[in-house]
Amino acid sequence: MNTVVCIKQVPDTETLIKVQGAGIVTEGIKWVMNPYDEFAVEEALQQKEKMKAGAVTIVSLGPDRAIEAIRTGLAMGADTAVHINDAAFYEKADPYATAAVLAAAVKGLQYDAIFLGKQAIDDDSAQVPAMLAEMLGIPVVTMVVKFEVAPDKSKATVTREIEGGQAVVEVPLPAVFSAQKGLNEPRYASLPGIMKAKKKPVDVKTAADLGVSVDPKTVVKEMTLPPARQAGKIITGDDAAAKAKELARVLHEEVKIV
Amino acid sequence: MHGSGAEISREVFWNILGPGFPTEQVLLYVLVVIAFLLFFHGLARSGFFTRMKAITSAKGSDVERVNNPWDRFWYMVTDVFGHRKILREPYQGVFHLFIFWGFVALAITTAIVFLQADIIWPIWHVWFMEGNFYLGLSLFADVFGLVAIVGILMAMARRYFMKPKWLDEKGEDKVILWFILAILVTGFVVEALRIQATETDPASPMNPYIWFSPVGRTIAFLFSGMSMDALRDTHVVLWWTHVLGALGFIVFIAYSKLLHIIMTPVNIFLRPDTPQPPIRVMPPEMFENAETFGIHNLEEYSWKDLFDTEACMRCGRCVEVCPAFNTDKPLLPRDVIQNLRTYMENKAKFALDADGNYRIIPDEEYTGPALIGDGIEKDTIWACTTCMACVEACPAYILQFPKLIDLRRYLVMMESDFPAEVMDVFKGMENNSNPWSIGAHSRADWAKGLDVPLLSEKGEAEYLFYVGCAGAFDDLNKKVAVSLVKIFKAAGLDFAILGTEEGCCGDSAKKIGNEYVYQALAMANIETFKAYNVSKIITMCPHGYTVLKHDYKELGGSFQVFHYTEILDKLIKQGKITLKQPIENLGTITYHDSCYLGRYNKIYDQPRDILKALKSGSLVEMKSHHAKSFCCGAGGGRMWMEEDLGTRINQKRTQEAEASGAKTICTACPFCYTMISDGIKELDLSEKLQAFDIAQLVAKAAGLDQKTNKAGGEGEQEAAN
Ligand code: SF4
Ligand code: SF4
Repeated sequence: MNTVVCIKQVPDTETLIKVQGAGIVTEGIKWVMNPYDEFAVEEALQQKEKMKAGAVTIVSLGPDRAIEAIRTGLAMGADTAVHINDAAFYEKADPYATAAVLAAAVKGLQYDAIFLGKQAIDDDSAQVPAMLAEMLGIPVVTMVVKFEVAPDKSKATVTREIEGGQAVVEVPLPAVFSAQKGLNEPRYASLPGIMKAKKKPVDVKTAADLGVSVDPKTVVKEMTLPPARQAGKIITGDDAAAKAKELARVLHEEVKIV
Repeated sequence: MHGSGAEISREVFWNILGPGFPTEQVLLYVLVVIAFLLFFHGLARSGFFTRMKAITSAKGSDVERVNNPWDRFWYMVTDVFGHRKILREPYQGVFHLFIFWGFVALAITTAIVFLQADIIWPIWHVWFMEGNFYLGLSLFADVFGLVAIVGILMAMARRYFMKPKWLDEKGEDKVILWFILAILVTGFVVEALRIQATETDPASPMNPYIWFSPVGRTIAFLFSGMSMDALRDTHVVLWWTHVLGALGFIVFIAYSKLLHIIMTPVNIFLRPDTPQPPIRVMPPEMFENAETFGIHNLEEYSWKDLFDTEACMRCGRCVEVCPAFNTDKPLLPRDVIQNLRTYMENKAKFALDADGNYRIIPDEEYTGPALIGDGIEKDTIWACTTCMACVEACPAYILQFPKLIDLRRYLVMMESDFPAEVMDVFKGMENNSNPWSIGAHSRADWAKGLDVPLLSEKGEAEYLFYVGCAGAFDDLNKKVAVSLVKIFKAAGLDFAILGTEEGCCGDSAKKIGNEYVYQALAMANIETFKAYNVSKIITMCPHGYTVLKHDYKELGGSFQVFHYTEILDKLIKQGKITLKQPIENLGTITYHDSCYLGRYNKIYDQPRDILKALKSGSLVEMKSHHAKSFCCGAGGGRMWMEEDLGTRINQKRTQEAEASGAKTICTACPFCYTMISDGIKELDLSEKLQAFDIAQLVAKAAGLDQKTNKAGGEGEQEAAN
């Protein structure tokens, strides 16, 4: 089975984010592959291993530094990659523009399925999988937690997470799938994998190469950080009863919720 | 001998030689030759030469093994005769010493008798075995023979009555002691029969000196009623029994653990002469061009690793001290070595071609059992805390746990096969340079408001205080870091920290087997240290201490590294810190030796000296301490792994602290501090036991802790929880 995995490089969840205007200060940030995309890469690799055939292609839109995330995917075991690197996108790639350029890049590739993370943990818009499917004119199944494909690769039986439960859907291939946590346990790239990744082919493309123009539908006007969390308070007292009393007093007088 | 004429002596071969041609003497020589032939035959049959082929075909050792041969030889001699390591365990040590010296003495006596009777007398007709020399020799042999018997009886008492659970019980173990006892006892009985026959007669010139064979003389009383003929007949039969037993013993060496009589001294000669138990070096270039990392194939071990398995006599001392074994985990360091030996022998058989040559079988061709999984189980590989207790205890200087690290390396770097919990640890180290995965930007947050000098601002300082991840990110241990900077400042120490420029030391990554990540972390630190011209470093964590001091050298980073206990001890002794306020409520104090401070770096006294200088409570030792200290369970990356097999190591150690009668348990390692604090909570012992890091107590006693001068005061405890 041939698969395409679209990934995004995002700041590490623990990294210090500083807002500047409508964006963030990128200096000093530790960049990683979007964690949900790791599930997507892992699933593509597992499907390839199961079928013992096919290739996994990573596609990513991002500046020079995005090559690191691409190499991570290649180190995990993907075969080739397309890196769409165009300054025109750096500031303005909203979900629509991203989906459009990904669609253009994917069009020339062989695939039975396209995997993506259910959302990127930086802007959390979760729109690209659906838009990409729409632009390619194929079905999409989101929030996938289990993926099985028919031996003739004609269709997939997929379990997706829904509010309070799960639903099993059947979908003809090719189709787009967005990965939710629980789909699998992403692997840790082995050292030979890391070495080989350095030599795997990465096709660098610009918007012009793909014949698309940047046409965002939304514009970020402003970003703000959430208010700092206040320090917790430890309730002291001689015994449980005294502590309970103190807790009641604090809730009543200081927090004013009781 | 016949006709030597010496009166104060004895006739060698009394009652054995017939008249005329000494047929019996020749028969004895023939038997000796046969015994040695059978010994070599036994080596062949027990697979010794097959194993040796595997060993000699293996790779070179990356640690010097034969440098300074005279020093090595001398060390070997003193170790073998002085039982340096064996006496670490008093009971076992003493009985082995008794058996050993008994046999050495008897061998010396036999050699002298041989020299006299078979060489000097026939050639020169000189008889020196007479008079005082003879009497001394007789007494010497008797006393040491008795000593050997006492040793054997003590060993039997251990095997049959004390029955420690770490003692191995193979078929040969049941035979050996009885065998040796029989040889010794028949020797004495033979002597007694001869004495009864030749020396009890008051007319015998030896009669006045009869007690120079005290044991033989005493046993002779049993035979006082026997006729001369009966004495002679019994003597002949027992003499030959004794001789055959002794020769049989030589043959038995080839088939049993007794081979250690030869192999262990050789291994002592070859011992690693490094300050740390050597873990195989992986030069950085390796990551550019090697195809495989770590070990999954027998031939990837060095010859010395394989030779180690020959020197192991299954004594079980490594098992006795292993924290994994003692908490019912499937790891017995002895069995690691023994399984490796069995595996080697089986594979070697497979690898011999028709001409008996050893051939290294390519991976693709090999279909036999796998080293990892079949030879040594994965649960075994992951159970090790790298506490070094096995290496420290082994009288044969075998390196047990480093062999496991090689296997971990293969599993981690080649197969990405490790306990699932470790994934986040690696990612944390890679992305944020700490195993907790906390944002690297917050590495210096603990120091906020304390006015701690930053190297980037100060430019240079005599000491770099390398805080390490625990001091920087772990709430419990941040308090220790704070105490330390307060002390350093009060003592006027010229120091600075790196703040957010500091990185993880990499010890956990290294010991889990991720040498690749370890080296990346280490090189980043080395580069930073060099950029600031750092030469002296103080570490808070013994793990950082160990890698910075020893392992960074392999990567080109040579620094003078101190653990904070070395510095505090010095500052206190120089009077730069005055511990003016005794701390209340400490009660009796016990100190828990960190493996990486104690066994790895031999720092035992400084922490104790500091605790004594506090003058705040008397010091007691736990059941195991100093070089025999019991691990807290966190080393070797175990800090980050679930402990779901057996019982918990930290709880076992906490119970030892409780049993010592101490109220306060002190640590000098952030991992130990965490593990012991958890142990106290898990066992619900907070009423009886409290844990502190030594630095906290020093800060308190020096009046640097404004809050309270009572250990375990309210504010303090709350913050700890
Ligand atoms: S290092 Fe410690 S835990 Fe590991 S095998 Fe040796 S004694 Fe056991
Ligand atoms: S490895 Fe050493 S300590 Fe362990 S059983 Fe063998 S000889 Fe004894």
